[in-house]
Amino acid sequence: MDELELLKKDWNKNGSKYPKLSYDEIYKMILKKSSSIVKWIFIISLLEFVFWTLISFVLKDTKMFEDVEHLNMNHILIPMTIISYIILIYFFYLFYKNYRNIASTDSTKRLMENILKTRRTVKYYVGFNLIALVIGTFISLFYVLKHDENMLSQVQQASANGEVFKIYAIYILVTLLLLAIMVGILLLFYWLVYGILLKRLNKNYRELKKLEV
Amino acid sequence: MNKELEHSFVELLEKHQNIVHKVCRLYTNNYDAHNDLFQEITIQLWKAYPKFRGDAKFSTWMYRVGLNTAITLYRKSKRRVNTQGFDEIQFKISAEDYDDTEEQQLKLLYKAVHQLNDIEKALVFLYLEDKNYKEISETMGISEVNARVKMNRVKTKLRTILNP
Repeated sequence: MDELELLKKDWNKNGSKYPKLSYDEIYKMILKKSSSIVKWIFIISLLEFVFWTLISFVLKDTKMFEDVEHLNMNHILIPMTIISYIILIYFFYLFYKNYRNIASTDSTKRLMENILKTRRTVKYYVGFNLIALVIGTFISLFYVLKHDENMLSQVQQASANGEVFKIYAIYILVTLLLLAIMVGILLLFYWLVYGILLKRLNKNYRELKKLEV
Repeated sequence: MNKELEHSFVELLEKHQNIVHKVCRLYTNNYDAHNDLFQEITIQLWKAYPKFRGDAKFSTWMYRVGLNTAITLYRKSKRRVNTQGFDEIQFKISAEDYDDTEEQQLKLLYKAVHQLNDIEKALVFLYLEDKNYKEISETMGISEVNARVKMNRVKTKLRTILNP
């Protein structure tokens, strides 16, 4: 193609047109921070973790927390919290590893594999958070229905009127509704935050993939 | 990281910095974005440097890391707003009295290249850098035949952009 040859000629004679950075200027650059997508995924996941931890501290003295305390659920809640924290820390480690790996990739093929890996990690991370929310909600619901005094007296009253099924159904339906709303909000949040970050990665992954075929 | 490594890296990069400038030229079209991408590539090169074993030439290795950074790691979405480039702006001013000089043709060509996607730009970049298909295939991690086919498609696409 003649046009590309013309471009090539111009391209190569332009060598002197580029800025010439000094040793010091380049040296300063390697001390600066990077702005890469994968690094932001890592940072945002950390911020999110801090956010939820802070929320749980803020809620500690509220009435809701006292109610939970009242339920004597600690033998379930504490192990659950510990397990979820261990899993979360593992996820941070994975995000960090993805970041380190991608940052120093020098072949397009490996880059593709790493993009895939990052995408998978984000998917698992979102999945884990949603599943943890659902499981936590169901365990709490079960516990309230079985052990909460308030609840038990309500059930007793209802059974006297022959409405046990109704009261259980109401509690379960309300919980399911609230859960659906929470899952919806979380999904929207993840879609906004990680979806936008992953968009460019995905687009270029598809392009790289096309090259492979 | 030790000082000696830093020193050797900065010295090599200073010598070969034109490669990075050229990548920036294709992937950005204003001064600020150019500098941002240059810095990002520098950081990525520095991070990858301990893994650089010298079995490839430093410049060849720079092509790979530089292109990969431009393709994948760099966040440029927010900089895309209002990034009319020098080439493009100049083109608009003079397009009214268009004549078929080489200069005009070049501006149109650069404008067309800027419309390609990130991967296609990488192919054009390596082509402009006078790399043969073997080198292109190694840098992009695809087969030589594939590189040839893709390059032909990019040429066709460029032609379509130039003569709609």
